[in-house]
Order: sequence, then C-alpha cells, then structure tokens
Amino acid sequence: MSSHEPVPLFSAQFDLNSQEFSLSGILRPLSPFEIAETIALLEKSINQVKGVLYINVKRLIHMNATAYHALARLLVNASRSRRDLRFVVVTSSVVGWATRTFHHLNSIEPKIAVEAYDSAFYPGQTFVEDQSFIPILRTQTKMTWRHEREILPRHGMHAGIAMADICCGIGDFAVLVHKEFKPARIVALDHSMGSLDYARKVAADFDIRDIEYTYGDASQMLLEDNQFDLVTCRHSLQIFNRPDILLRELYRICKPGGRVYITNEKNSHCLGEPRAASIQWTYNEVATLFSHFDMDVEMGPKSRRLLLEAGFEAIEMESFMVSNLDGDPQDFADVIAAWENVYAGEMSVRRGDTPEFIKRFRQGFQDHIFAALHPKGYAGWPIWAASGRKPQ
Amino acid sequence: MEMDIFMSDWLHCNQLSNYVARMVSHDRSDPVRHANLLSSALNELFEISFRSGCAPGRLHCNISRGDHLERIALTFPCASEQHHLYRDATAHASGGGALQRYLEALADENSAQEDIVLLGLAVNYDASLSLQEVDDQALTMVLDIPVEGLLN
Repeated sequence: MSSHEPVPLFSAQFDLNSQEFSLSGILRPLSPFEIAETIALLEKSINQVKGVLYINVKRLIHMNATAYHALARLLVNASRSRRDLRFVVVTSSVVGWATRTFHHLNSIEPKIAVEAYDSAFYPGQTFVEDQSFIPILRTQTKMTWRHEREILPRHGMHAGIAMADICCGIGDFAVLVHKEFKPARIVALDHSMGSLDYARKVAADFDIRDIEYTYGDASQMLLEDNQFDLVTCRHSLQIFNRPDILLRELYRICKPGGRVYITNEKNSHCLGEPRAASIQWTYNEVATLFSHFDMDVEMGPKSRRLLLEAGFEAIEMESFMVSNLDGDPQDFADVIAAWENVYAGEMSVRRGDTPEFIKRFRQGFQDHIFAALHPKGYAGWPIWAASGRKPQ
Repeated sequence: MEMDIFMSDWLHCNQLSNYVARMVSHDRSDPVRHANLLSSALNELFEISFRSGCAPGRLHCNISRGDHLERIALTFPCASEQHHLYRDATAHASGGGALQRYLEALADENSAQEDIVLLGLAVNYDASLSLQEVDDQALTMVLDIPVEGLLN
C-alpha cells in the first residue's frame, strides 16, 4: 500500500490589508483533499475582500495539474458568483510554466487577469541593467578583483567547492573565480537577460562550459536548500530595498557550515586629493540620492549586523580601498565617468533635481576624475567585504 | 525502478522528477530554469503512472534530446482494462481543439484526471503526445517538449 503523506512543501497565506492570497513552494498533492485547508483559506479570502483579490503565485516553484484544477474551478466559480469581484493572478517570469498555465483562467473568465511579474525586483534595477553599463561593470570587477582574489580564501573560497554567485551581473566574477580557484560547481544567477547573454558569450569565448548561468529573482530563487559551500553576493544587497529578504535566501541555499560572502560600499567615504571637499560633497549626495530610490549605498559597515541578524555566525569582515594606484588610473577615471552619467545624468534628473544642483553634483565626479589622473593625486573607492557561517 | 517501491510514497513523483530533471538539464543554457520546467512536465507523467495503481512491474524513464525537443518516454505497468483511459485521453490531447477542450475541462469538476493532465501538457508545454501499448500489462507514454523554446 502507498503511504500518502500530505505534501508539506508549500505554504498558503492571506493578507487582508493587501487583499492578497499567496502560494509558495511546491504544490503537488495526490488529491484535492490534501489541499483542502488551502482551498478553504482561499474561499475565506474571497469572502473577506472587496473589489479585487490578488493571487500571488510568484514564489510557487511547482504545481501539479491536480492542484491547478482545484484552484481554477474555485476561481472560475467565484468570479461568476461574485460579480463585484475581480481577480489578479501574479506570476513570475522566472518560473517557466507559470504564466502560460495561469493565463488560461483569463480565457475562461475575463475577470481573472494574469500578470507576469518580470520587472522591478529591486528599485535600482532599471539603472543597473542598462546594457551601456557593461564595459564599466567589467572594469569595476577588474579593479576589485585585485583585492578580492587575496581575501576570498579567508571567506571560504577554495578549490573543489560548490558555489553560487547571486546577482552575478555580467558573470565576470564567476569567470575569474573559475580560473583562479577552480570550484567544482558554479551557479551564477541574475535577473538581467541581457547581462546573462553577455556572460554566456564571454564564457563560451573562453571555452568555459561549467558555469551554470541562470535567470532568476534573488529574493526567491529556484535553487534548492543547503546546496552551496560558498554563496557570494557582491554590490547587490545595497541596491535591494529589502536586504533581509535577500539574505534569507542566501542563507537558505548555503550548506550548514558553509559561508555567505557579501560586499557593499559606503559611498560617502569615496575620497580624493586634490579637491577633496567637492568630492566629499558629491558622494554624500550620492548616498542621499540612492536613499531616495530605496537603496542604501552606505551599507558596507552594516554588513556585520546584517549577517548576524540573518542568523550567521563566525563573521569575518574587512575593507579594502580600490584606488587609482591599482593598475591604470584611466580605468578608475572611466568608472567615475560612468557613475556620473548614471547618477547625475539619470537618477538625479529622475528625482527632479535643479540644474544648479546637478551641475555641482557633476563637478564632484569631475574632481574625483581629476584626482585619479593627477600625477600626485589619489582617488579611492572603499568596499567592505564580510562573510558569515551558516550554523551546522 | 520497481513499481512497488515507486508506489510506496507519493513524494517519489516529486523527488524523481526533480532529480531526473536536474540531471539532464545540467548543460543547458539555463540549467536551473530548464530543470524546473522539465520537472513540471515529468512530474505529471510520474503521477499518471503512480495513479495507474498497478504493481508489480517496472517503471522505465527514458529521456533523449533531439532538435529543439526533449523526448520523455515513460513505461509503466497498467492493467489492460485501463488502457482505454489513457488511449482516450491521449487522443483528446493530440487532436485539434485541444485548447478548447482544456478550458472546458478546467471549469468542469467532473473532468477526468487523465484528460486534465494530458491536455495540460499539450496546451501548456506545447507537447506532442503518443501512447504505445508495450503489452497488455504496460504502456509507454511518449512526450516531446520544446523546453528551451518555452524558456526563451
């Protein structure tokens, strides 16, 4: 005989304030009876809301036909009996089956709308996914790599490990790690299809076949629990409006005893000589500007607290200064010029800043470039690297 | 795998589909999403074989890769008197008008489970389905799915 245990791999929640019913995890019951409580909760939710009920399935990784049939019948029947109510099913573009499957509900009953959630995972996404930014991202990684290749072994990097690079961008860090440290497995995840296409092309050009690039939402990854010895997430927590959610996911996929490594900036500590005052003013304003868009580019020194609050132990933390003395000063200058274009040319404009403010704002970047290229000058960009161990 | 072992726990459908999908997806352009999508389709076939409720015998799963298609061939024990259920459901899912039949089946609480599953595979995964009767005690369900195409 079969032992038909209820499938405990999913959760269902209802939030009356946002009129949202959410399903997450793996919903593969043997029969509709196994999900009777979930169906009852959805019925109760329908009875409690007015106007619209959001059905959030963004974090539903798997759902079998049995569960879908049960949900579909309930939603179709409810939309026919409650003429005052409409439904919005929110799917994820990351989960390949979801939008196609749920889309049929709209064909059966037009009051059930289906929306694919495929943008704005974090507020700065539109800025950082601009493809014109790719050369600068490569230069940034080249500059930080000089430091990180030295410090990574202290944070759990060594040959033979399974690692994930979350928010991998154009994947160049994964390629450098692959060459330098030879991990047994690298999964590199990002939410920019353009960046991932670029990453795959670079890997192919270098005849690297064993980096698994994947499109995904870092706040809800398809990756399974407890898989990786080392999880890296560089320069990304700071541009995510809910770093605690992201850290929870990094913790989840990390093996017990493994480590999560994060890097973040403190932009107001960017510095340069000469013209120090102008540079400092501008970078203080950079921090304020990012804050306006719900991003915290002052996060670097907060890394220890964030890791501890996420449940990590044995925190290792250090900082390093990327400077114009690391290789070609023109590289440093190119990075600052790109920052100026995005921060002053796009973000400040979008915030509605005055031309006078933007002019002064730009001047600080120009002075930073001046310092970087000055034969006696010094220009710096400080970064905090931290890692924590997931308890056994 | 021996069918009686497979049928000892419903969770084997979930576990096997995830394991097999991960194994065959490792070298695709997006292994994680490829595995997720393939697992969804594969799980439906494992569940069909589980629900056939027929043991003893063996469960065979063969996955091959063709031009833009993944072929899943799942052979499972099935009593001869049940063959017509799968024959009919496969015919419904393979012919024209599958989408309309699927929409009607979804809204109908009396729809046959086999219809919902196979129509869903045909419509949601652009899958082609066929059924082979191995002998009077076993069936092979063959599914061709353009997984990469669905992801891009």
